[in-house]
Amino acid sequence: MKSEIPPGLFTATVTSNGRIRACFWTMSLEFTGAGAQAFARFRPGQFVQVDVSHLGLPDESLIAPELRDAAKRNILLRRPFSFADVTAGPDKTTAELLYCVLGPASVRLTTLRPGASLGLLGPLGHGFQAPPDKRLALLVVGGMGAPPIRSLAKLLRAEHPDTNVMAFVGAKTAQSLPLEGDFDNVPERIDFLVPAFAKFGIPSAVTTDDGSAGRRGFITERLAHWLDDQRDWSPEGTIIYACGPEAMLAATARLAAARRIDCQVSMERRMACGIGVCQSCAIECRVEGSDDTVYKLCCQDGPVFDAREVVFPEGFV
Amino acid sequence: MKSGHKVDMSVDFAGRRLANPAFTASGTCGYADELADFMDVNRLGGFITKSVTLRPRRGNPTPRIVETDAGMLNAIGLANVGLDCFLQDKLPVIAKLSVPVFVNVAGERIEEYVAVVARLAREKALAGFELNISCPNVAKGGISFGRDPEQVREITSAVRQAAGDKTLIVKLSPCVTDISVIARAAVEAGADALSLINTFTAMVIDIETRTPVLANRTGGLSGPAIKPIAVYLVNKVYQEVAREAGIPILGLGGIRTASDALEFIIAGASAVAVGTASFLEPDCAVRIIDGLEDYCVRHNVARLSDLVGSLTVKSS
Repeated sequence: MKSEIPPGLFTATVTSNGRIRACFWTMSLEFTGAGAQAFARFRPGQFVQVDVSHLGLPDESLIAPELRDAAKRNILLRRPFSFADVTAGPDKTTAELLYCVLGPASVRLTTLRPGASLGLLGPLGHGFQAPPDKRLALLVVGGMGAPPIRSLAKLLRAEHPDTNVMAFVGAKTAQSLPLEGDFDNVPERIDFLVPAFAKFGIPSAVTTDDGSAGRRGFITERLAHWLDDQRDWSPEGTIIYACGPEAMLAATARLAAARRIDCQVSMERRMACGIGVCQSCAIECRVEGSDDTVYKLCCQDGPVFDAREVVFPEGFV
Repeated sequence: MKSGHKVDMSVDFAGRRLANPAFTASGTCGYADELADFMDVNRLGGFITKSVTLRPRRGNPTPRIVETDAGMLNAIGLANVGLDCFLQDKLPVIAKLSVPVFVNVAGERIEEYVAVVARLAREKALAGFELNISCPNVAKGGISFGRDPEQVREITSAVRQAAGDKTLIVKLSPCVTDISVIARAAVEAGADALSLINTFTAMVIDIETRTPVLANRTGGLSGPAIKPIAVYLVNKVYQEVAREAGIPILGLGGIRTASDALEFIIAGASAVAVGTASFLEPDCAVRIIDGLEDYCVRHNVARLSDLVGSLTVKSS
């Protein structure tokens, strides 16, 4: 199956680029012409391959000390990103690129100023599929898994207004939540409003590994307890959408399988091309009706997979 | 020559007239149709497929790649659909192309290479084969064939017989003491052309976990980092083996621009292949054709093939 729209090489114009909090930055991009058309139909969970190879480093004083060694390495390959938001207008499409400054490529992205150009290859892969018969959608976010889930929240509100949506947001610490807002005093209440989801009327539950925001623990444990407390819900009418570290995806997949809930997971692998030729981004998948497994490609067959299909490494489950 | 005059971009490649010297390198452009969204494959001088083995191969666990300074390591492990699936699904697509297509053939034993080549030699849609005896990322076969001149002779000669009238390119590893010894063995055993270089065996270590980044432990280094070494080895093989034998070289290793390609051509390559750079710019190979033509116009070169091996070295 090919992606929904033929991918292409496009140039976007940066309209803003700034830090949100901690290591998290957000960049607004504008597409016109063919790029506007191609990205108007961007599905949450699809991704782009961004060319950062021509970008220079910021002044060393602007680079976090722990990144100064890594930043010196030059960039060859494109970097995959999923948009946090896409808005199609009559003659332009805007997209929000939420990124974490953690290495030589992302540190270079911070140098882009409004008016600069950014080369992208996309839209790539398959995004989340929202079946029409689900009455309850549970969004599970781990750390930098937030961008595609934010984009999905907007789509669900627009295309499935009758579906109840609830977000479960987890991170290592308050500082590793890639979301706008004050996370220093996040209460343990389930109805805490994470602004990125609250603006679509979606309540959130927050956990951090160290308890520095929300409840202490793993977000998958919180989701499991929440499900155990629910009455009047049917597994068939429920769906889980997850993006985050693979250990979290594995736990989410196990939880969903045990409760017979449909679940889609957005996977991640080191990739070079993003278009199925380098074969780097293999994901081990089950073959239906057989004990065999095959390697599928994260870039082309995913990055969003049915959770039942993915064989997570042992130790994760 | 004034601009506007047409440059003769064609090159002779083992008795075949190619429209231009630009190839895609094996393993970087699939089986021909994958990049159709980005470039007109028929504009290329030649197309080399991803490796085909007798049986399908899953390839290695992940991580399979890691980026390095000006390069990358890969340890894909020859993941491919296998001969039967290639014949059924890929060959019909290839048959519709006008570009000469060469199938990269790999295996663990000589009989496997011979079986694949013998079967594919019957196919009119194919121009020939590239013998992969230099893959560093598989437990058996691969690079181990390409390090020993006697084994190179044996496998080249066996595949040569199976290949019938198809062009046989032998792809050389740089991970040898003297590449000319290996090149000579391949030529004497019947290679029509040589492609060089394949990747360098290399390793990247995660200093936090003190483990290799790649699941395969080691991988093949490619990209701009290896280009000067590749240019040197192309020139060495051209001077010591290929020129005298009248055997063309397909040069590769870190080519990203027309300027890179020209270094290889001047060093002695009749044709050039784009590998890692296609991951960044899927249309890189066809853009290089345009760049080569511009160079010829700027330097009053009527025939691009006049540049092959045109390196001059001042005597000291």
